Amino acid sequence: MILIGEDLNVMSKVISRAIKERNPEPIRECVEGQAKNGMDYLDLNVGPVKKEPAETMEWLVKTVQDYTDLPLCLDTTNPVAMESGLRICKKKALVNSASGTTESRETMMPLPRKYSAGLVLSVINDAGLPSDADERAASIMESLEFANELGIPNEDIWIDPVLMPIAVDQRQVLSYMEFIQMIPDLAPGAKSVCGLSNLSYSAPKELRGLLNRTFMVMIARYGQDAAIVSGFDEELIRLNRGEMPEIVELIHKAMDEEEVDISSLSPKERDYVKTTQVLMGRTLYSHSWLEV
Amino acid sequence: MAYEAPLEKYPVKIREVILGGGEKARKIGGENALPLHFFEGSLPNPPGLALEVLDTRPENWAPWILEPFEDVASDPMSWAKKCVEEFGAEILCLRLLSTDPAGKDASPGEAAKTVEQVVKAVDVPLVVLGTGDEEKDSQVLIEVARVCSGKNFLLGPVLKGNYQEIAQAALEHGHCIVAQASMDANLTKELNIALCKFFPPERIVVDPTSSALGYGMEYTFSIIESIKLFGLADRDNMMQMPVFADVGIECWRTKEAKESRDQGVLWEATTGITFLLAGANLLVLRHPEALRLIKKITTP
Repeated sequence: MILIGEDLNVMSKVISRAIKERNPEPIRECVEGQAKNGMDYLDLNVGPVKKEPAETMEWLVKTVQDYTDLPLCLDTTNPVAMESGLRICKKKALVNSASGTTESRETMMPLPRKYSAGLVLSVINDAGLPSDADERAASIMESLEFANELGIPNEDIWIDPVLMPIAVDQRQVLSYMEFIQMIPDLAPGAKSVCGLSNLSYSAPKELRGLLNRTFMVMIARYGQDAAIVSGFDEELIRLNRGEMPEIVELIHKAMDEEEVDISSLSPKERDYVKTTQVLMGRTLYSHSWLEV
Repeated sequence: MAYEAPLEKYPVKIREVILGGGEKARKIGGENALPLHFFEGSLPNPPGLALEVLDTRPENWAPWILEPFEDVASDPMSWAKKCVEEFGAEILCLRLLSTDPAGKDASPGEAAKTVEQVVKAVDVPLVVLGTGDEEKDSQVLIEVARVCSGKNFLLGPVLKGNYQEIAQAALEHGHCIVAQASMDANLTKELNIALCKFFPPERIVVDPTSSALGYGMEYTFSIIESIKLFGLADRDNMMQMPVFADVGIECWRTKEAKESRDQGVLWEATTGITFLLAGANLLVLRHPEALRLIKKITTP
């Protein structure tokens, strides 16, 4: 799976302050750390950037490109910030993100073609977030058609089905998995991408990684192409590199409801199995899912 | 070929919880089918219908909800007796309103004394509720559990922030508890998991919190329904506790109930019946007429 490191994010106090003070040092640390861990892209999440959108994004892109050659995924809802970042990206960047809303069609969707960038296109539209796989399909088909007409080929489109937190609505996790399996038929050539960490939003902090990692293995099996992930979750990176085949195999077995002798497993293996069960919707999620 | 109706059979059941003791003890839960699905399994215990008694004279009650209790409203013992002897209540719910820190703020000792006296006055099972203030309820309910040791009360509400202390006291002194998590099946499950580490599951009743007709009743309906489905259809053993609904207090808050007697009684009865249809196993009601109406409908 293509991994996009999420850690350059204004939600982080350190990063937020570094951007505000135009202090390159924390940025360098974050960039080099993620690059060393093998991220394929770096996400630059600057939020809505109400103040000095163009200058802020420009500074950040320049600073990041001082320390890495990795391609960038520019993550903002502000089209002015987006455009000024795209203008100076050295590698083919990603616009993260556009959606089917009227506003996004007008302001974001024209940018990728102008700057030869890729486009992350979410299933959100003017009616909000579609509630199941079929509605997601209907929504993305309309947005795709619009993007194609603007001259963006499917090959440059990364579909974001929008992954909701399991603690908010477990059924949404199931329809997510159903939908990604439909993508090759709906949009041949397009990729799928998601914000993986959103899955575990509001879950106990020490267990978030386990949810994220397990789900990554599951959706990789269903054909997910890319995910925005923590660039510092070493186990996730090792799983993705194929360095933990026994865990991957175990997760697949649990997905297929094959008999797994829980008592023969190590605590870590047991946790992966239990997490798979919850993500498959076989048992009701609670924050203490590992304790039952 | 004869037609065979497709039936859903569940290999599990909702736990049976015993309230009170002696001849008047009541069982709730125990069903292995969804509400009213008598053709698919057995629903051995009719829903428990408790009438509410306050430990202090109610303020700001509409005249028609106070009227049946006018002569006993300042005396919880007589109020309790009247509910049993005159209105036919088989379960009572004593709400310790006097302990509200924002109100009279009565001490745990005073509250426990009232409970003790009520227990002497009636022999039906007793639900004893605090006011929902985590800290105060913890002190009050622990004292009640201790003073009335062995009486097998249903104590509540037990919340995320005070379950350890209250459940520990209930365990030591032989009581059941109402585990309350607001409108979220995931949180209901989480609290049950935490409780069951040291507390017997067959002494837990869950309260997903209630809302009245016109004020979000549908949400309560859905959550009760989903708790039952998780328990029976998904066989989730942390979701197989009987469901509790505190109906009267919510209904008599509404503008509509305060407008007229008949409207208020129907508001309460309709809300209560609706929760029974969703799968509730124990209702707390306020107006004796609402109790009579629901009893009439639910008694075969």
